[in-house]
Amino acid sequence: MMEGYAIELTVNGRRVCAEVRADETLLEFLRTQLRIIDAKLGCGKGDCGTCTVLLDGRPVKSCIVLAASADGKDVKTLSGMQEEPLIKALQESFVTHGAVQCGFCTPGMILTAASYLREHENPSRDDIRRALSGNLCRCTGYKKIVDATEAVAKRNT
Amino acid sequence: METRQLEVAGTRTRRKDGVAKVTGRETFSSDVYLPGMMHAVVLRSPYPHAEVVDIDVSEAERMGAVCLTPFDVPDIVYNERTVSIPEKTYRDRTVLPKRVRHVGEAVAAVAHDTEELAMQAVSKIKVQYKELPYVLDAEEAMAERHGARLYDTVFLGEESIQVKNNIACERSIAVGDVEDGFRRADVTVESEFEAQRMYHAQMETKAAVCAPEPDGGITVWTTTQTIHNVRQLLGQIFNLPLHKVNVKRIALGGAFGSSIQMNSITPICVALALRAKRPVKLVTSREEDMYDHVKYPVKFWLKFGAQKDGRLVAAHMKALVDIGAHNIQAYPLLGCIAGWFASLYKFPNLLFEGKAVYTNKVPACAMQGYGNPQTNFAVESLMDMLAEELGIDPIQLRLMNYVGVGDEFWGQGPTVRSIIKSCGVEEMLSRGAAMIGWDRRVHPWQKSGDVVRGIGVARGFHTSGTGGPRPGEVIDYSSATIKVNEDGSVDLITPVMDQGGGTWEAAAKVVAEVLKVPLDMVGISPSDTRTTGYDVCTHATRGVYCGVGAVLHVAEQVRQKILEMAARILEQNPRDLSMERNEEIGQAVIYPTGLPDKFITLGEVAKTAQIKSWGTIAATDSYRQKNCPPCFVTHFVEVEVEKKTGRVRIVRAALLGDCGTPINPDMVKGQLVGGLCRGLAFALLEETAYDKSTGRLVCGGYLTDYKLPTACEMPAIDDIMVGFANTYEPTGPLGAKGIGEAALNSAASAIVNAIYNATGIRFKKLPVTPERMLEALREGVAR
Repeated sequence: MMEGYAIELTVNGRRVCAEVRADETLLEFLRTQLRIIDAKLGCGKGDCGTCTVLLDGRPVKSCIVLAASADGKDVKTLSGMQEEPLIKALQESFVTHGAVQCGFCTPGMILTAASYLREHENPSRDDIRRALSGNLCRCTGYKKIVDATEAVAKRNT
Repeated sequence: METRQLEVAGTRTRRKDGVAKVTGRETFSSDVYLPGMMHAVVLRSPYPHAEVVDIDVSEAERMGAVCLTPFDVPDIVYNERTVSIPEKTYRDRTVLPKRVRHVGEAVAAVAHDTEELAMQAVSKIKVQYKELPYVLDAEEAMAERHGARLYDTVFLGEESIQVKNNIACERSIAVGDVEDGFRRADVTVESEFEAQRMYHAQMETKAAVCAPEPDGGITVWTTTQTIHNVRQLLGQIFNLPLHKVNVKRIALGGAFGSSIQMNSITPICVALALRAKRPVKLVTSREEDMYDHVKYPVKFWLKFGAQKDGRLVAAHMKALVDIGAHNIQAYPLLGCIAGWFASLYKFPNLLFEGKAVYTNKVPACAMQGYGNPQTNFAVESLMDMLAEELGIDPIQLRLMNYVGVGDEFWGQGPTVRSIIKSCGVEEMLSRGAAMIGWDRRVHPWQKSGDVVRGIGVARGFHTSGTGGPRPGEVIDYSSATIKVNEDGSVDLITPVMDQGGGTWEAAAKVVAEVLKVPLDMVGISPSDTRTTGYDVCTHATRGVYCGVGAVLHVAEQVRQKILEMAARILEQNPRDLSMERNEEIGQAVIYPTGLPDKFITLGEVAKTAQIKSWGTIAATDSYRQKNCPPCFVTHFVEVEVEKKTGRVRIVRAALLGDCGTPINPDMVKGQLVGGLCRGLAFALLEETAYDKSTGRLVCGGYLTDYKLPTACEMPAIDDIMVGFANTYEPTGPLGAKGIGEAALNSAASAIVNAIYNATGIRFKKLPVTPERMLEALREGVAR
């Protein structure tokens, strides 16, 4: 058996102590050990962004982050942020703008959008497109996702 | 039936599954976790063609893994797609093959307590292969002298047939006399066209979870567009009675055709679970998914003959389809390509000759449009070439020749035909021309500079379902159950899968419309194959027209039952009652016609019926649509070509859709914009290229190397204009037709026509990558 690493971290506001393999990704840890399913496995190679989570407040693709490296850190997934006003506003906006089709990319998309809007006031549509370009969506053609994000950005500023 | 003023259908609503999806609580197959569940990993062939001589799993078994080899699986030769009638279904595969025919084909599988342990175990399996000659090119595959032969025999229905020169099937379809037609033509144009092997790239990779049940049966959660066909196939392969095979309807993370069938991993997962007597989960990696299915690549030769005035008189198409290692649906595909070709314009004489050929590559299957985007690329490119030859405006030439109201339409090849009753072609061409500024369009030779722009048009369509007046080679019907609860809310139980386009939402809206209940009083029940009647598949743009068509059919019956129950309470004749939606009360109300004050609520009716033991107000039925109306689209696109980099950018687009009544207007727009994005990918970016020396994919399983478009590749958001034709389909639910596949079908063609208008270069091979553009600009000739 491979040697395990003991890690201690905060996940969605909860203190978690766990043992992880050296090669266990943060995504695998969240999904299989903690059963947090809103971070999705779309590619496992850092291409698609469906696994986006916040690591110490910064969006990361959790499929290419080792769980061991999250030791001592704060991890947030979409399901742990349901009360945050910016997340709520984006969720509402995604539903009303029809930015959701199959929904598989949606949690990662909302987290990336929220992280960007938190740090950028009054972004242009092009800025938003670039900010979201690490999150792939096959259904929507992105238009309504950008519409939904922009609507929240305008309300914020 | 009174004439309907639509109150719910056709309005913008917040989709019912929206909240689950934006909160991350929607459950997809890969999100199903069961107690005691094992994880499966598949061992895949590194060779494009090889015999499996021996497999040694002893070491993996010593590690505690449950193993599955080709020597352990049921000896059933099946086809994963069972949409066609059995006698037109080719069968060439088993759960695990003793001879692998493409890199990435499953050879063995293991299940263990964790995915990590399963990975370790699978690495200990020793497979002895005997490599065989392989072929990656369709034309080479047909050559007499080529040593690679994928199959000696396959099944067609119950009959064993010989495969000659790797030709999986052929189809030749003629209307009129094409030679005579060409003799009467003043002008002929002809060209070859080639559409590439594209990958579906649905965001959710294929997944399956199977739980063995105490009664010997199984429960299955899997990525599929058809729960009932999966159920029937699993029952057949594992010799289980169907009441012991339960396939759950579950959210699907996109599909675009990639799950039109029972996916190859599903029976592998089931076999492992039955062996292990424990639940097993199998989620494919992105690379495995890329090795599972691609879009059908087609090489065309196409010729048109026309009179001087622009009237088409003859057309001849040859199509060569490289289907890869399995024949999933090549026979109906050839018929459909013939139909897409025959139904866009009126050709009094036409000939179609199609061939589908096996190669040692990833099996091709349906992908949004099922041969239609490929065919459309050839037909709409050649229409522009003909327009230029004749000196007629491309829009004018299309208006002169389009197939419209009163004409016959081939919805699913030559055996499924119906007469067109609604058509927005003219309206969309004229509105779209105004939206894009068609009159600003100038010839390519009037343009200069390093950055040039061009405007292109293409029109397309897709069928709505596969129903005709008489059933053809394709099965098509759907079922629904609707019941009224004792508070006036309604449960809808449907077997129809939703790929994300909003089919369930449309179903709920139709129920709300007919039963006069507020939309939030309609619930879409979780369902499975045990609790629903048959639905063939969410394919062929049939979700709304056929699936919701069945929902409407059942809702009408429930409405009648409501009126009968209410009549007993109100002591009236049911015919003398009226129903309406009362938003204030939040319910449907029923009252004697003309006496709205004497109303009772639907909840009171249902509750009274329950208390008095009259029964539950409910109905279940199946319904078959007897038409397959085309949903038309028109794409106008303006592109910008950077001559120094070869990059093509879409700067503006006008997308027009004729879906009859748009039941979910927002989602129809979403389909059209999403279709543009995938059309852009088809025209400019994506292709699964192969390494000829290994038979492996060059992209190595990376979506970015495969070049999936991001938000940045789409036109600036303000520059996508969307419009609906003002049509009503008399045979559709509340006047609706489909839209899904149509939304894509002419997008790439319009882009390629716009590139011609920008550069004067006619691209006949997709995708038009910057490399190909630069090469063409250097050579200064048509590619």
